[in-house]
Amino acid sequence: MRVILADDAVLFREGTARILIEAGFRVTGQAGNAAELLDLVRRDPPAVAVIDIRMPPGHATEGIDAAAEIRRIHPDVGLLLLSQHVDTHHAMRLMTEFERGVGYLLKDRVSDLAGFAGDVRRVANGDCVIDPELVARLVGRKRERDPLTALTERERSVLALMAQGRSNSALSTELHLSAKTIEAHVRSIFTKLDLPPGVGDHRRVLAVLAFLRSS
Amino acid sequence: MTSPAGTPEAQAETRTTEAAGDGRPPSLDAQRPGTGRYVAVSCLGLLCALLVVGGFVLGVYLPNLHNGLIAAAFTAVGIVVVGKRWGNREGWYFTATGVAHAAMFFGRQYGFYSAAHRDAALPGATWVAWTGVWPLALVLVLTGVTLMCFPEGRLPSPRWRVVVVVMVADGVLLALASALWPVEYADNSLSLPHPLQLGGYQTAQRLWDVLGPASYLLLQIAWVACLVDRMRRARGDEARQFRWFAYAVAMGAVAMAAGLAVFGSPMLGVLAVPAIPLAAGLAIVKYRLYDIDLVINKTLVVGALAVLVTLGYIAVVVGVGRLVGVTPGANPVLSIVATAMVAVAFDPARRRVQRVADRLVYGNRPSPYEALARLSTQLSRGGQHDDLLTGLASTVADGVGAAEVTLWVGSIDELVTVAWWPPRSDHRSAMTIAPRNLASLEDGGRAHVRPIVHRGLLRGAVTLTKAPGEVLTAAEDSLLRDLVAQAGLVIDNVGLGAELRQRLHQISVQAAELQAAAKRIVSAQDEARRRIERDLHDGAQQRLVTLALSLRSASRHAAAVGDDQLVARIEEATRQLSQALAELRELARGIHPAILTQEGLDAALSFLAERAPLPVRLNIHLERRPPQDVETTAYFVVSEALTNAAKHSGASSVTVSAGLDGDRLWIEVTDKGQGGADDRWGGGLQGLVDRLAALNGHLTVHSPAGGGTKLRAEIPCE
Repeated sequence: MRVILADDAVLFREGTARILIEAGFRVTGQAGNAAELLDLVRRDPPAVAVIDIRMPPGHATEGIDAAAEIRRIHPDVGLLLLSQHVDTHHAMRLMTEFERGVGYLLKDRVSDLAGFAGDVRRVANGDCVIDPELVARLVGRKRERDPLTALTERERSVLALMAQGRSNSALSTELHLSAKTIEAHVRSIFTKLDLPPGVGDHRRVLAVLAFLRSS
Repeated sequence: MTSPAGTPEAQAETRTTEAAGDGRPPSLDAQRPGTGRYVAVSCLGLLCALLVVGGFVLGVYLPNLHNGLIAAAFTAVGIVVVGKRWGNREGWYFTATGVAHAAMFFGRQYGFYSAAHRDAALPGATWVAWTGVWPLALVLVLTGVTLMCFPEGRLPSPRWRVVVVVMVADGVLLALASALWPVEYADNSLSLPHPLQLGGYQTAQRLWDVLGPASYLLLQIAWVACLVDRMRRARGDEARQFRWFAYAVAMGAVAMAAGLAVFGSPMLGVLAVPAIPLAAGLAIVKYRLYDIDLVINKTLVVGALAVLVTLGYIAVVVGVGRLVGVTPGANPVLSIVATAMVAVAFDPARRRVQRVADRLVYGNRPSPYEALARLSTQLSRGGQHDDLLTGLASTVADGVGAAEVTLWVGSIDELVTVAWWPPRSDHRSAMTIAPRNLASLEDGGRAHVRPIVHRGLLRGAVTLTKAPGEVLTAAEDSLLRDLVAQAGLVIDNVGLGAELRQRLHQISVQAAELQAAAKRIVSAQDEARRRIERDLHDGAQQRLVTLALSLRSASRHAAAVGDDQLVARIEEATRQLSQALAELRELARGIHPAILTQEGLDAALSFLAERAPLPVRLNIHLERRPPQDVETTAYFVVSEALTNAAKHSGASSVTVSAGLDGDRLWIEVTDKGQGGADDRWGGGLQGLVDRLAALNGHLTVHSPAGGGTKLRAEIPCE
């Protein structure tokens, strides 16, 4: 699977490349800024582009802008955005701007070889990936008349994993539960939180994030 | 009708000199009489004296008495006026009127004497008497014109010349008729025959009976109308001159009425006639005298008192006498009672009458309280310095009824006149004196001098002159003391006002500089925070994340070679590193939230709300991004407020609202906690206040004990 990396921190970029290679990926290009990244993608579109959000020249959200451009020119390229810290605002922006195949992770996650490789593959498959820290923060957020207290422990784990972008089958694998059981949990959660049922994975992530953010 | 005292004479003299510049043609005054004119005036005086004295030598005849008195009075006054004010034509008119009357008087005296002493008739009696009769119309025209020209010797306006021409024509016609036929002889009680025995007398007399009185009436109406016209337009000194004149006429009328009523004779009125030219002359020569008001005032008081006393006496003696059936005069007890009652009532009556007279003559003089209130109104209204000082002088003048008030300002070394009442248009009379001798301002005791002392320093002086004969009463003196005490404040204000404005300007300039400096400091601080956060992001955080990669890599190598102990150690180090990274993230966020720069206040406040230790409801409506300074300040305000709410309020939740109101960003952080935040905030709050002040914003904290806390910040987006 072909991957292109974009980050202005050369050491980190090299380290990431090593890890991806170790995990069986083919790193077809490395860029230090958004312009280089776009050049590389135009020349040889990868399965996934791993992009640092904050890059020269402005050190603001150049990565997100570059991702949007990539999605425009090559809609099949998966987009995995990395950042030193994760913000709900950015997560919502990414989920809103990109229909599928998008991820948002802390840079820290890269060092977890297996986990990171899995995330890259899921993005390549068109799934959504949201950093667990962000989800944990949203789930743990202080609420008045917290609707999450209505959920069971298990349901809460399912909710967190859903927010991280896991599909039902992924949930089933991860939690060692049957597909039917997972479906029952998901239905129960949607009923208890009064969320609109019967939506696809991506929509489901967005709905759950929006719920967690606003409630 | 004499001058009340010696002092006004001197006063009048100085004032006349002063007045030389204002309005009066100086050339006329400067013009000195030549010898020829002296001789002319002297001859006229002598002629008049001869005619009048000669006339009186022939006897006193009541129907002709007024002519003699008028002749003497007008001529005397005319000559005095001519001597004092050479350029004043009115003096010459007076003299002419006097001499004309003298000639007429003598002619008539001659006639009366001859008629009375038919046995010793004087030579040519009919002809001489004739010269005393027919010029009457012309003399009256002359007298009318003289009065019409009062006080400057000029008609009020050119259109009156037409009236004068008509008057002269009328006079000539009347005189001609009178000269030809004895139409006026009977009216003047002259029993001598007319020297001309012309025919047609019956017709002439019939015509005269109709036209004569009408013509004379018209003459009188003409000059009275002219005087009224001038009087109505007169202001200031001229009005005062007319008051003299009116006073004399009024007194003459009173004398005439009293004479007719009491003695059944016009003699008293006739004797009062010279008062009119005398008053007129006095008004011309000494018109600057302010004592006419005083004279009228005192006359009113005395007259009213006389009437009251008489009425009171009559009421008691006659009225009570009737009631108890005693004939007036027969009971001395009643007289004594009446006298006693009048005596007891006299003083209160006098005061009441005096007050009424004061109001009539001086208008409404303010009470001390009114004077002080008026002054404080002037002070609080502020205004130009000159206005304030003149206002002060006028308040003093009104308050104590002074004729003149001068305000001096300065120090112990020098005092300068700065304001007058009545106001002077020119400042030529401004004087500077060394005030070590304030007594020199007393002007020989005529002026009252009060030093203005403020905070122990001499700041000026007030000098005031009252009308001659008027004293400064104890009440007025006390009011004067109060006003002068305020005057120090006024002068200080006037001086300080200028200094204060200067200082205020300096302060506002400094304040603007300070504000700019504070803003620069805040901006520099924020910039420094952003830089540190970026340095952490690009430096330490980046390196540590990379280090984590290396450690994991090392861990995998160790696992590959089967060194489980090493793997465990590396995993432990990685765990600690993750924790360090998390802490560093928090630190970087605390220094400056990247999301604020990247995505704006809305996103940054969401982040704050997510991780706040208590539920936060957000209500943010920002259509556009405020400037970076403003966003950062707002973020720290909310951050600080949330921290404090979580720590102290005990509230179950907080609401954060923000919006743009025109050019201002407002932020509100409210909770329903226990309130009383003011006491607990201490340094944090002050820091926010300072930060906001640097951006010209402000903070209000409403936090009553037990009533929750509402913190509102407003920042202009410049």
